[in-house]
Amino acid sequence: MTEWVRWSAPAAVVLTVAAPAYAVQYLSVAQAQKLAFPSATRFSEAEGGRAWKAEAGGKVLGLLVVDHVIGKHLYIDYAVALAPGGRVQRVEILAYRESYGGEIRSASWLAQFVGKTSGSALRVGSDIRNISGATLSCTHVTEGVKRIVAAYGSRVR
Amino acid sequence: MAPAFASLRRARPLLGTFVEISLAEMPTPAAEAAVEAAFAAVAKVHRLMSFHEPGSDLARLNREAGERAVTVDPWTFEVLEAALDLNQRSAGAFDVTVAPVLERLGLLPRDERPPAPARRSSRESIELFSGRRVRFRDHGVRIDLGGIAKGFAVDRAVDALRSHGVPGGLVNAGGDLAAFGPEPHAIHIRDPQDPGRLLCAIAVREEALATSGARFDLVRSADAAGVAIIDPAVRVPASAVRGATVRAGTCIYADALTKALMVAPANAPALLASLRASALIVLANGDVRVTDDWPAVRRAA
Repeated sequence: MTEWVRWSAPAAVVLTVAAPAYAVQYLSVAQAQKLAFPSATRFSEAEGGRAWKAEAGGKVLGLLVVDHVIGKHLYIDYAVALAPGGRVQRVEILAYRESYGGEIRSASWLAQFVGKTSGSALRVGSDIRNISGATLSCTHVTEGVKRIVAAYGSRVR
Repeated sequence: MAPAFASLRRARPLLGTFVEISLAEMPTPAAEAAVEAAFAAVAKVHRLMSFHEPGSDLARLNREAGERAVTVDPWTFEVLEAALDLNQRSAGAFDVTVAPVLERLGLLPRDERPPAPARRSSRESIELFSGRRVRFRDHGVRIDLGGIAKGFAVDRAVDALRSHGVPGGLVNAGGDLAAFGPEPHAIHIRDPQDPGRLLCAIAVREEALATSGARFDLVRSADAAGVAIIDPAVRVPASAVRGATVRAGTCIYADALTKALMVAPANAPALLASLRASALIVLANGDVRVTDDWPAVRRAA
């Protein structure tokens, strides 16, 4: 084998495949809470729909903050677990949606993910579960984590 | 009580991308522990080999290895050994000493020291000694492991999962992935320059797959035109190939081979054959070429 082979019918395939929407729901907020603070006996909402305090026996174990970032083709929900003192304990992606068809900005497109759990693997459009292609940057999530530490770090006591 | 079995799928932001781990059905607590260990392995590679973390082995090498031999972690040493092996096998097409070019293009933060006088291959620029010691031949050598560390991290994550008794699964670091276990995994390959288009779907089983190409979180640089693969021979962005996907036994080789292919596609089939790897490339004009052992493709969904 010393030469490249022209791939038969690439043009047809390449031209007929429409922009896919790729989406995965990894964890619900409740699952993320339990994973981040397995010994917690109580989670109380510290900020509506965004931050939960984890406690066990009256002691604060930490804070779980949920946030999302929106890019041109991306919509990512993620959770940051902060330990007392504001140290980042873990960052988990809750949901990941990627689209090159413009659906991301549409509320109804997003609504289909509400209430999904990791048990119900999503199949959007077609059965696209794994993709190998150009790398997506996680810069926005990294910046989001920094913002969360700045905003909530001192509040975890 | 629901049975305590589950298939898991988790993702975390690491290595500058999203690293996803999915596992076949297994007891839940064991699966969570295995995923934790796998992410820890990826995070360790990130800590050791990030260009951006001042405390990484990589940053220490770039700061000090021009002056004296620097002792590195066994994992960093292993990656450097593979990098030099590939530099030799690819006749210089794969080269980790292109960091100064990436800096010049604004793709890596600038180091104010003058870069090494081009043009020397990494085989000549980097010396590896017993005791995991590494020295650079001159002061201006700077390396970037961005073209190989991600694949290595995927391999280490798979090791961690296997050693925790996971029967099968998939680790995917932003498109550089490895599948293990008896089940094949369907992977869609997309055109790196037009991510809305899928080129094909292939089944991957007990092997690794990596894709490189034009970046689409474009860093503005007219010079780079969005491509972060540098041709070491001329030290400018590679342009003949706009995307390359490689299947190989390990992800470290799959990852690095995509870079060699982007730079020197003509010599690649022989190189791939010698490593029992196969590949698909998209040329600048949109034509697709494959090695003759590329698996029969089925139409993308």
